[in-house]
Amino acid sequence: MGRSRVSNNFRPHFRPDGHFDSAAAHKPILVLENVMKVFRADAPVLRGVDLTIERGEFVFVTGPSGAGKSTLLKLIYKAETVDDGRILFCGRDIARLTEDSVPHLRRNIGVVFQDFRLVPYWTVFENVAVALQVMGLPPRVIRSRVAVALERVGLDGRGDEKVSVLSGGEQQRVTIARAIVTEPAVVLADEPTGNLDPVLALDILGLFEEINEGGTTVIFATHDRTLLEVSPRRLVVIDDGRCIEARAGLAGLGGVLDHGISIN
Amino acid sequence: MFERALKGLRQQLGTQMMSVATVALALFCMAGALLVLENAGAMVRRWGAPVKVTVFLAEGATVDQVDSLRRALAALPEVEEARYVSAAEARQSLGAGGDRTVATAPVELFPATIELRLVPSAVSAERVASVATRVRRIPMVAEVETYRGFTERLRGLLVGGRAAAGVIALGVLLCVFAVVSNTVRMSLAARLREIEVLRLVGATRSYIRGPFLIEGAMLGGAGALVAVILLGVVFAMVRVQYEVSLGAVLGLHPVFLPWTVLASLVLGGSMLGALGSAAALRRGLQS
Repeated sequence: MGRSRVSNNFRPHFRPDGHFDSAAAHKPILVLENVMKVFRADAPVLRGVDLTIERGEFVFVTGPSGAGKSTLLKLIYKAETVDDGRILFCGRDIARLTEDSVPHLRRNIGVVFQDFRLVPYWTVFENVAVALQVMGLPPRVIRSRVAVALERVGLDGRGDEKVSVLSGGEQQRVTIARAIVTEPAVVLADEPTGNLDPVLALDILGLFEEINEGGTTVIFATHDRTLLEVSPRRLVVIDDGRCIEARAGLAGLGGVLDHGISIN
Repeated sequence: MFERALKGLRQQLGTQMMSVATVALALFCMAGALLVLENAGAMVRRWGAPVKVTVFLAEGATVDQVDSLRRALAALPEVEEARYVSAAEARQSLGAGGDRTVATAPVELFPATIELRLVPSAVSAERVASVATRVRRIPMVAEVETYRGFTERLRGLLVGGRAAAGVIALGVLLCVFAVVSNTVRMSLAARLREIEVLRLVGATRSYIRGPFLIEGAMLGGAGALVAVILLGVVFAMVRVQYEVSLGAVLGLHPVFLPWTVLASLVLGGSMLGALGSAAALRRGLQS
C-alpha cells in the first residue's frame, strides 16, 4: 500500500521543529469521529461516520451518486460544517476553527474537482500561482515553485497559455498543479476523472499516485469502478450515510454493494 | 493587491469607463454648484461690507446740534469721514443729472444729511447695525440708511443656494454610491469563479475584498478627478469670455474653487467609491 512508501518523503509542513520525524509518518492526519451531516431532517447525508486516515495514505472514497462523498470532502476543507461529531486534522478539530482560521486550513489542503474550477481568463501560470500568492510568497519563489508543479503534471513550458484553450485533461492537470504547488498535507480529489475519457482518467489517477508517492495524503472520491480495479488501495465506501472500509481495495469488500458499483 | 485591482479594472474596461463618466457627471454638477456658491460668496463679501451710512436729519435741527452730532460720529473708530450735506446741496446733487423737476423743487423736500464713509476693513455689519440703532434714538435724527437691503437679500439668496447645494450634494453622493456599488457588484458577478478559487486556495477575507475596495475607490476618485478637470476647463472658457464684463458690472473677478475643496472632492469621491464597493461586497460575497 501507499503507506509503506511514504515514511522518507513526509510533508515538510508537518516536520516538528523543522526536522524530519519518521515516527510522525504513521500518525493519523485525519480523524473523523461520529460525523453527522444533515441537509434534510428525514434524510441525513452522513450518519455517524468514523474514519481514520494516516499520513501519506492513498484512500479511495466511493459510493453511489448522492451518497455523501462530496459532502465528506467538503466537511474536511470546511466548505460545509459538521452537525455533530468532530473532524481532527493534524489533531485540531476543524469544527472549532474560527472563520479567520479556515483559509489557513485550506492552505494545507489541495482540492481537485470534476469541473476543474479554474479561472478561464487566467493563464495556466496564474491559475497555479494563485495558491502561492494568497500565502504572500515572493514572486521569485512563486515562479520557481509553479514551474516545478507544472513539470510534475506534464505541463512544463505551458504557463503562458490561457486555460480556456486547453483540453479537459490538460485543464485537470492545471487543477492538480494548483492543488500540489503549496505542498499540502492532504490532496482531496472529488471525482477528478468524471469529465475525462477512460484513458485520460487512468492518466490522471497515475498522477495522483505519483503525488502520493511523494508523501502527500490523497483522498480520491470516485465511482469509476475501473480506477478502483486498477489501483487496489484502501477503499472507503459511503452508503446510506455510513462508512464501510476495505484496506485492500475492491477485493477486500468481497461482495456486491448496493450503490451501483458492482463489486465481485 | 493594487495590481490585482488594476487587472480587474482592465477586465471590464467598458463598464468601468461608463461608471467613471457617470460619477464624473454627477460630481461635475455638485462642483459646479459649489463654484457658483463660491463666487456668490465673493460677491457678498465684496458688496456686503458696509462702506456708507446716511444719517437723515429731522427738520428743525440747529447748526450747532448738527455740527456736534457730525463731530461725535466722526470720532467713531469705524468712520473714516463724516460730511454734512445740507438740503440745498442734496437738491443740487440729485439734480446734477439734468432733471429740471428736481432742480426746481422746493428745498424743504430734501432732508439734510450727514454722510458717513466707513473704514472698509475695520467694520462689521453687526457693528454698523448697532451704531445705526443708537443713532436713530437721537432726537434730531429722522432715519439712518445703512444700505443693507441689497446685501441682505444677496445673503438670503446665498443661504438658499447653500441649502440647494446641500440637497444636490446629497443626491450626487447617493448617485456616486449607487453607481460604484452597482459597478462593483457587476464586477463581482463576472468574477465569481475567481473568488471561488481564491477561497478554495485559502485566501483571507481581506485578500479577496481588497482589490474590489481599491477598484471602487479608484472609480470614485477617477470620476471626481475628471469632474474637477472638466469644471476647470469650463471655468477657464467662461472666464475668458466674461471676465471683463463681469468685472465692470460686479466689480469682481470670477474665482475658481480653492485647492482644498478640489482635493476634498477627489478624496471624497475615492472614499465614497470605497464605501459603495464595501456595500456591494457585503451583499455580494455573502450570497
